[in-house]
Amino acid sequence: MRYTPREAFFAFRRAPLLSALSVVTIAFALYTLAVFGLVWLNIERVLDDVAQRVEVIVFLEDGTDPAESATLMSELATYPEVDSIAYVSKDDALARARGDLSEYRELYEDLEVNPLPASIEIELKPGFRRSAQVNEIAARVERFPFVEEVKYGEEWVSKLNFLQDMSLFLGLVVGGIFAAVAFVAIGATINLVLIAREDEFAIMKMVGATPGFIAQPFILEGFVKGVVGAILALVLLTATFSALEQRVLALGFYTPAQIVTGVALGGVLGAVGSILSLRRHLYGGTA
Amino acid sequence: MILFKNVSKEYPKTGYALRDVSFHLRRGEFVFVTGPSGAGKTTLVKLVTMEERPSAGTVRVSGFSSDRIKRREIPYLRRRLGVVFQDFRLLKNRTARENVAFSMEVIGTPREQIGLAVPRTLAAVGLASKADHLPAELSGGEQQRVAIARALVNEPFVLLADEPTGNLDERVSKDILRVCKDINLRGMAVLFVTHNRTLLDDYVGARVIELDRGALVSDTGAGDS
Ligand SMILES: Nc1ncnc2c1ncn2[C@@H]1O[C@H](COP(=O)(O)OP(=O)(O)OP(=O)(O)O)[C@@H](O)[C@H]1O
Ligand SMILES: [Mg+2]
Repeated sequence: MRYTPREAFFAFRRAPLLSALSVVTIAFALYTLAVFGLVWLNIERVLDDVAQRVEVIVFLEDGTDPAESATLMSELATYPEVDSIAYVSKDDALARARGDLSEYRELYEDLEVNPLPASIEIELKPGFRRSAQVNEIAARVERFPFVEEVKYGEEWVSKLNFLQDMSLFLGLVVGGIFAAVAFVAIGATINLVLIAREDEFAIMKMVGATPGFIAQPFILEGFVKGVVGAILALVLLTATFSALEQRVLALGFYTPAQIVTGVALGGVLGAVGSILSLRRHLYGGTA
Repeated sequence: MILFKNVSKEYPKTGYALRDVSFHLRRGEFVFVTGPSGAGKTTLVKLVTMEERPSAGTVRVSGFSSDRIKRREIPYLRRRLGVVFQDFRLLKNRTARENVAFSMEVIGTPREQIGLAVPRTLAAVGLASKADHLPAELSGGEQQRVAIARALVNEPFVLLADEPTGNLDERVSKDILRVCKDINLRGMAVLFVTHNRTLLDDYVGARVIELDRGALVSDTGAGDS
């Protein structure tokens, strides 16, 4: 075997307890981070579901020329923030009302004239459902003379926005703290490994090994520990999740792409932690 | 070759460890460096390995100069030096063979070359039969032989031995000195540091540099250089 992989592998055999300690530390650090991430992801998901219901309803004056409403619809179709548009005619509106409000069925049953207006329902693309953006669209549409009224639940959209902002802020701050703690814990265990091998560094420097060469096996070792720790964290997380799922229904889990990213992140954390600690050990004393 | 030109070394707290030291160690030469404790012998060795830089004057070692050498060049200087210490500095969890091989591996020597050089070098210091022993399974003299083999295996031009017999009894000390002398006979320069002057008795006529409180007080081999 080449020197670098052999030394990295050798480290596990030579100091199994210390290696196990650092892998477990990495696993718990990443597990805590992942649990927090999952809670946050699910909160975001719920908020997204709610946000999906944000829509703008444009009520049209009775007797509006179908050609005019068609013009409005084709203009709406060119707006980048619009996801879909649906025309609801007076008859459609009545049919819907009959279906939805079955207890008032008789009320609608023997109407001479249809009192409900025709409308255009606009659904917005994700990312364009903030209250300022919705307001802006409503204002644009209101300028058409045959538009009677535009409705979009201003009140609850801004409440929803507040919750979304809070969630993002807490996610970043608390998630950032968890990530920092994970990073420090990983760095500390890697540092322990390096302290245990101070005498090797001294000999390597004495015989003329370059810092890059000295660093290689430790960086590889840190990477492997990070990946193994991340996989261990994933196993723990899956167990926790399936236990929870039996009680609380319909929780979202990480996507396969997110899992792969997370495991790679573990490896990168291990490698970067090694590099940072190595700098202290390799350049700390006199060359 | 090693050239010290008016070299002084001042440490921040303790003051001058060396003061205006000049000497020239020629290719293949053997020199004893002696002097009482605190005379500056170890400091002199550290100036050769460039672990320390002179406060004044210039140290030249095999084409590298203390005035110009860059930090990233130091490993390449060290590959031209073999160093042994009083305390052996072997890796405890590696056998004699692995300790010697280690110093080749970490400078990227090809495997086949390591496989040839390690047994040859262990044989040269008289340890062929103990190649698979851990340091704890070897006597002090044997451990120092492993350390010498490790210093030699990369074929440096000089062996720097800083008090290599400091932890060994009289008889074993003489053996170690003998090993160093043999190495010198094969053409390698040796700088042998010791405060034990009785070791020098068997080598009347050898070059001796004597330090005292940082000053070079005598150099029996100082010629035109
Ligand atoms: N890193 C250092 N920082 C400050 N002072 C130092 C340092 N290293 C050595 N000295 C001082 O420099 C002087 C010479 O030390 P040095 O180690 O070179 O002596 P030595 O001749 O090797 O002694 P010994 O025979 O005891 O090994 C001493 O007074 C010592 O205190
Ligand atoms: Mg000394």
